[in-house]
Amino acid sequence: MRLIRLATLVLAAAAVAACNRAPGPAAARPRVALVLKTVNNPFFIDMQRGAEQAATDLNVDLVVQAAERETDVDRQMQIVENLIQARVGAIALTPSGSRELVPAVGKANAAGIPVVVVDTRLDKQAAAGVKTVTFVGSDNYRGGQIIGEYLVSASGGHARAVVLEGIPGHETGDSRLRGFRDAIKSAPGVVVVASQPANWERDQGFTVFQNLMQAHPDADTVFACNDMMALGAVEAIAAAGKTGKIRVLGFDAIDDARRAILDGRMAATVAQFPDRMGRQAIESAVKALRGEPVPAEIGVPIELVTRTNAAPGSVK
Amino acid sequence: MAEASIPLLDVRGVSKRFPGVQALDDVRFELRQGEVHVLLGENGAGKSTLMKILSGACARDAGIVRIDGRACALSSPREAQQAGISTIYQEFNLVSHLTAADNIFLGREARRMPGIVNRRTQRRDARHLLGALGSSIDPDARVADLTVAEQQMVEVAKALSLDAKILIMDEPTSALTESEIEQLFAAIRRLTARGVGVIYISHRLEELSRIGDRATVLRDGRYVATLPLPAPIPDLVRLMANRDIAQHYPPRTRTRGEMILEVRDVARGTRLRGVSFTLHRGEILGVAGLLGAGRTELARVIGGADRAERGQLLLGGRPLAVRAPSDAIHAGIGLVPEDRKRHGFVAACSVAANVALPQLVRLSRAGVVDRARERALATRWIEHLRIKTPGPSTSVSALSGGNQQKVVLAKWLALGAGVLIVDEPTRGIDVAARMEIYQLLDRLAVDGAGILMISSDLPEVLGMSDRILVMHQGRVAAEFDHREATHEGVLHAALGLAS
Amino acid sequence: MAALRASGRRLGTVVGLVGLCLLLSALTPYFLTVSNLLNVLEQTAINAVIAAGMTFVIISGGIDLSVGSLVALAGVVLALCLQAQAPLVVAIAAACAAGAAFGMLNGLAITWGRLPPFIATLGMMSIARGCALLFTGGRPVSGFDVDFRHVATGRFLRVPAPVFITLAVYLLGRFVLAETRFGRYVYAMGGNEEATRLSGVNVRLHKTMVYAVSGLASAIAAVVLTARLNSAQPIAGIMYELDAIAATVIGGTSLMGGEGGLGGTIVGALIMGVLRNGLNLLGVSSFVQQIVIGLVIVFAVVIDTSLKSRRP
Repeated sequence: MRLIRLATLVLAAAAVAACNRAPGPAAARPRVALVLKTVNNPFFIDMQRGAEQAATDLNVDLVVQAAERETDVDRQMQIVENLIQARVGAIALTPSGSRELVPAVGKANAAGIPVVVVDTRLDKQAAAGVKTVTFVGSDNYRGGQIIGEYLVSASGGHARAVVLEGIPGHETGDSRLRGFRDAIKSAPGVVVVASQPANWERDQGFTVFQNLMQAHPDADTVFACNDMMALGAVEAIAAAGKTGKIRVLGFDAIDDARRAILDGRMAATVAQFPDRMGRQAIESAVKALRGEPVPAEIGVPIELVTRTNAAPGSVK
Repeated sequence: MAEASIPLLDVRGVSKRFPGVQALDDVRFELRQGEVHVLLGENGAGKSTLMKILSGACARDAGIVRIDGRACALSSPREAQQAGISTIYQEFNLVSHLTAADNIFLGREARRMPGIVNRRTQRRDARHLLGALGSSIDPDARVADLTVAEQQMVEVAKALSLDAKILIMDEPTSALTESEIEQLFAAIRRLTARGVGVIYISHRLEELSRIGDRATVLRDGRYVATLPLPAPIPDLVRLMANRDIAQHYPPRTRTRGEMILEVRDVARGTRLRGVSFTLHRGEILGVAGLLGAGRTELARVIGGADRAERGQLLLGGRPLAVRAPSDAIHAGIGLVPEDRKRHGFVAACSVAANVALPQLVRLSRAGVVDRARERALATRWIEHLRIKTPGPSTSVSALSGGNQQKVVLAKWLALGAGVLIVDEPTRGIDVAARMEIYQLLDRLAVDGAGILMISSDLPEVLGMSDRILVMHQGRVAAEFDHREATHEGVLHAALGLAS
Repeated sequence: MAALRASGRRLGTVVGLVGLCLLLSALTPYFLTVSNLLNVLEQTAINAVIAAGMTFVIISGGIDLSVGSLVALAGVVLALCLQAQAPLVVAIAAACAAGAAFGMLNGLAITWGRLPPFIATLGMMSIARGCALLFTGGRPVSGFDVDFRHVATGRFLRVPAPVFITLAVYLLGRFVLAETRFGRYVYAMGGNEEATRLSGVNVRLHKTMVYAVSGLASAIAAVVLTARLNSAQPIAGIMYELDAIAATVIGGTSLMGGEGGLGGTIVGALIMGVLRNGLNLLGVSSFVQQIVIGLVIVFAVVIDTSLKSRRP
């Protein structure tokens, strides 16, 4: 027993002594961090690629981190806190929670580290007290509208749609949904018969839509707020033997979705150019580091993707 | 029992040291072909260490072991098995969910195709083996459904299937009734007739002469002597303990007082079919019977471990409802369970924690345990029962089997129960400790407790009880006063034969 | 002999933690700074508090898979109370009561319902999560006033408030386990439930209380989490039970029950917190992080098991 106490004391003392060592001089190249919601989604992998390219071009070091689960918001906050401890120069963040990450941004502010918000906005009200350099992202609202408009024209004004939502409270999903609903208002024959969250995940998209198909056998359209869920719905449709009978709409234009559109298993999606977002995010972060001015919002274009332009790489 | 020139097993100069204790010191032992050689010694004498060394579970520090003249290292259980040594431990090594046949061939299954077990061959072979022992156990019976005695037969059959030359049996009869013991002995005799040598470890001195050819006594890790059997019990006891035990049981000086417990027509399930009796202060009421007679069931119902389906209990003349163990404990009834290993103590906890467990409420204030009082209680009983332990805070799992038993006894005795039910009080306890327990029980009775003593050890029942109840198939078959009870008479009643 | 082995195990975990710290301090200059160490302590708080409750449950021979969902549920109760302008103390009390009550339901399902703890708490995992989603319509409840947020952001002598909360939980928990009758019963039930029952202990009652304790710990963690994120999400806490079990097991408490203690759990929680922090500081990819954490858990249990089974 005494041995343990002694050993612990010695080791603790060594630790405290080591604490007083100041960290070495900052690395020669500035370091920028990209904190993603998740790396389990090709959308964010593309974003990472764009960011890495930009980092190479700008001659900065890039650190990319994400939580194990997109739903683990506290973990993302921990990552931001740890990056602050690691004295990164700037942080580009795709928040897992539009309100929940505000305190983390506040901590970055306090440490003097500029923060660029990417893809998902922070909630305006909650973020009143914190500063961010800029928001890089698409107009998710407009994107929702585009796809809603497509549905109205493609269905001839008559459709019974099921909606698969993302994680509730995510500004991205909320905006897309709003845009979609507003766009279909113009056609009273286009009705949303059910709307359920599938938390951005493919397997949940499968299960939730499978159940909704049972509850609404007359549904002829499904709009999923992202492609992962849409692809899940595609599988559910195939399992029910109804491929081609239900129109599938997605969002993000990941490669699998493009292939599905070319195959006829999906009807349309909205391309967001995540690699451009990644690039813009890093460029803005570096500008902020250097003290150069950055516009408050950097919009990245969006585009409707259908059969005609679905081939990967056909859009830059 | 041929006198072979080379002994089957020849152990010389074996020593083994554990941290703090020399378990074996230059021990010798010899086993002849076809011999039943009893290994005697108190708890801690070194018997189980020697057994572990021979079965390969433990490595010896020094000495030579020769089997059929060839020196063997015995560095692993597998090696010991291949050398022809088979061990049957007190707590069997059986998988309760599998059948008897599965257990016998576990690890060496007969295969028709790679990976597929040939059940038919196994069943046939198992029936063969069991038959060779004179047993009619169904090879397809699940071990969990077999009685203790039948499980033991399965173990012996397993040993037989391994072509064992030497069979080590550890306390084989401690959980058996008279008729089962006879069956076991018959099986052993069949084995020895084939030349198998049996090392028989037991505390039950009275039965040794019935089965043993010779006996070797160990004491404090050393070899003491080897005698031919039968030998007078006092001689054996003297060699084991190095003291003369003039009497086996304490003299009856207690006087029977008023009635303290009345049991009326208590029944539960098929095993307990309606039992009535009375228990008085200052008396030891022995309960004899064969396995399955319902004695343990009776004990558990009175002690609150199980709920009676019918019947009434009256304590001090007033009706008492016992629905849970705490009801019994509150009323001053203590039950020392039969299976102390499984139901008696919490292995990971300390001696003190175990002893104090039933009365923690008494030992705490506002939910916080008074450690000083707990420790004092434990220390008192460690002394009282001479429990061999480094201290009250040692984990019970570190104690030897006999001392674990004592901890369980201490736990219940410490409650100061007015009625104490002890189920097989001395099972697994060595001779010297038994005396202590008998004296303790006697003293408790003298001080006014009523003691219900259930035991399968007939001499013990005859020697200790003031009155004897004999149970048979869930009912009281007979009641004797100690003056008129005889071994044959009790056995007669226990077998359900008309007197 | 057993006591020596037990303290040897605990020494092993402490040495492991300190070794890990020394290793990380050699690999990156940002680890061994006062501000980062405080950062780690703050981040470990939530899991540590949940793991404290889990330790009680595991010592008693059970398991609680519902803690993550109970965190979400208690957080939601807390947030809704605060939103309804309830005083801070009342809101926190309500959250704790909710956690304890649902935990008690776990206990009743296990004792009276005779369900195996794995199944009962697995069911509660879904039920509690569903309740949280139901109460909030699936959306997070956020935006609380500064007084409440102090639970997470407050500092005393530079040490973040969650650290003090964790300390209080552990000191109280340790006292209960080591000095009270209830604590004894927890160990006894885990070590040999039947023997404990036969000793006159009301096993049903005390087992139920153990699960209530676990629910309470989850609620306390929820209070800290909600303050930290300034939001109560019904989807919070997913898979938190695994981290809590990992911390308990790495800390040396046996999944078989009957032995172990909070001293080990806090070290286990710290090992996981330090590991995650270090991997972030080193910029290690998230995929590799997951692998490393899994390996550490397995490694720790392997060492623990081999120490236990080493017999003379």
